[in-house]
Amino acid sequence: MVPITLFLALAAILFCIGLYGVLTRRHLVIVLASIEIMLNSVNINLVAFSAIGPFANISGQVFSLFIITVAAAEAAVGLAILIALYRNRNSIDVIKHDLLRW
Amino acid sequence: MTAFDANWSLLTPEMVLAALALLVFTIDFMTGIHGKKPFIGKLSVLSLLVTAVLVLFMNNSGGQIADLYLIDSFAMVFKLIILVGVAMVIMISLHYLDRNEEIYQGEYYSILLFATLGAMIMVSSADLITLFIGLEILSISSYALVGFKKHHRHSTEAALKYVILGGAASAFILYGMSFLYGLTGSTSLLEIGQVMPTLFADYTVIMTISLIFMLVGFGFKISIVPFHMWAPDVYEGAPTPVTAFLSVVSKIAGFAIVLRVFTFGFLGVHEEWVMIIAVLAAVTMVLGNIIALTQKNTKRLMAYSGIAQAGYLLVPVAALPFIGTFSINMILFYSIAYLMMTLGAFAVISLVTEDAGTNDLSSFAGLFQRAPYLAISMTVFLVSLAGLPLTAGFIGKAHIFFGAAAADMLWLAIIMIVMSVVSFFYYFGFIKQMFMTAPKANDEELKVPTSLNAVITVALAVTLILGILPNIVLDVFNTFNWFALF
Repeated sequence: MVPITLFLALAAILFCIGLYGVLTRRHLVIVLASIEIMLNSVNINLVAFSAIGPFANISGQVFSLFIITVAAAEAAVGLAILIALYRNRNSIDVIKHDLLRW
Repeated sequence: MTAFDANWSLLTPEMVLAALALLVFTIDFMTGIHGKKPFIGKLSVLSLLVTAVLVLFMNNSGGQIADLYLIDSFAMVFKLIILVGVAMVIMISLHYLDRNEEIYQGEYYSILLFATLGAMIMVSSADLITLFIGLEILSISSYALVGFKKHHRHSTEAALKYVILGGAASAFILYGMSFLYGLTGSTSLLEIGQVMPTLFADYTVIMTISLIFMLVGFGFKISIVPFHMWAPDVYEGAPTPVTAFLSVVSKIAGFAIVLRVFTFGFLGVHEEWVMIIAVLAAVTMVLGNIIALTQKNTKRLMAYSGIAQAGYLLVPVAALPFIGTFSINMILFYSIAYLMMTLGAFAVISLVTEDAGTNDLSSFAGLFQRAPYLAISMTVFLVSLAGLPLTAGFIGKAHIFFGAAAADMLWLAIIMIVMSVVSFFYYFGFIKQMFMTAPKANDEELKVPTSLNAVITVALAVTLILGILPNIVLDVFNTFNWFALF
């Protein structure tokens, strides 16, 4: 049987990759995708704890279903705003959106 | 008691509000896409009042639905504050939407009602899943509200920044929660709180990581330094009533869940987090107030002022393990004061900046000659925000000061007083413009619409009454037993 630490390590690595993506990428669609990676690393954590954790029970899987649903809603709103922004500015490069600062 | 035989009638206010929000939504698409729809705004205010009455009469005896949803006096008072706040935000919106016809009016009100529903679920939840759902209902509605002027470059840019940073903050909260669930096998904060001391001793590193990740996420939602960078940008780009909503309702609801999580979940290990929160409060007060000094844009200035106010509100959270219920009284009293003075100020700002067509501080020039009542009430709100006597803000700050001193955090209390003095300088910038600068040549007398007049009068009355007779509210608070915990 695979020990739970491996799953937790995978989730931690994915979370870091997602965070790195949010902080460094210039393409807004990739930034939104990086947020999804962060949320999905949480799902791996929850499902791993739910299956082989010290107190394995079903709540973790229920929690991850809720997260998937909410992440979908968030992505929908995010992409809608992205399209509105693109229509206004003709660019989805992070660097170019600097009207608001300090 | 399981969720199957629970008393679901306790959820009546939330269900009624959800139904009314859907009704508003339906009426909206039955009356065509475009055009002004002030009646929908009035209907929304009515639905909030109905919900507030239901909260008062259905929830006053307390109870709980399994371990998921708590109806206690803490939740009840927070819900009433939120409902009154949103009703005032909608009154401000009535005028704003009248001036900005490109905003889809029906959708605006129904999304605002759904955001309120999310905030109500947040303050009552005692379970990680319920808490997360409430938080996301509020957040996703707020993302949409910020981007409501969709042909406006600032508004969409602000909304996108908010989505990206808000999504990342949610991921942080969830990552922290996943360890909490994994090591206890439960998502209920009550059960987590019972095993927390032994758990923390067994898995110190993992629990510390979990605590810090949740603190980062919540810190973002209540906009404390160093997680505040989104606030000025989003506040500047958003439509003014939405800015008022974010700086008041969403912040107060955020404080409610911080209190829930830290009292129910982490009270047993308070020595681990009290210092972190105290330092965050100090940094927030110092940076918020000092950066506000450099601002010339009214909405950005109010954003930094809101960050500083979040710092003041964080002081009683740090003092909570030592002075217990007294600290909840302080937070709730200051929340009411903060709600009234900030919404009053935003009502004036919304009217003045819309009339001038710019958010610059100079749009307030000569307001005293153009509309004396507005200028005088704005002065009272600013003086209350700065914390001078005879206003609700002073009483709130004085209580927080004595509470912090009682909890052996005199250094924090002193930083708070010093920073309040600093805050006079930027609030005085408004007052100088209003009274000592001549109005621009083509400015006429400013007409105040009835809805804004009502908001300003209510806010003015409450700010002054609570400043002179604070015991009206404090005596009521003293009779409450906030959680079963204390």
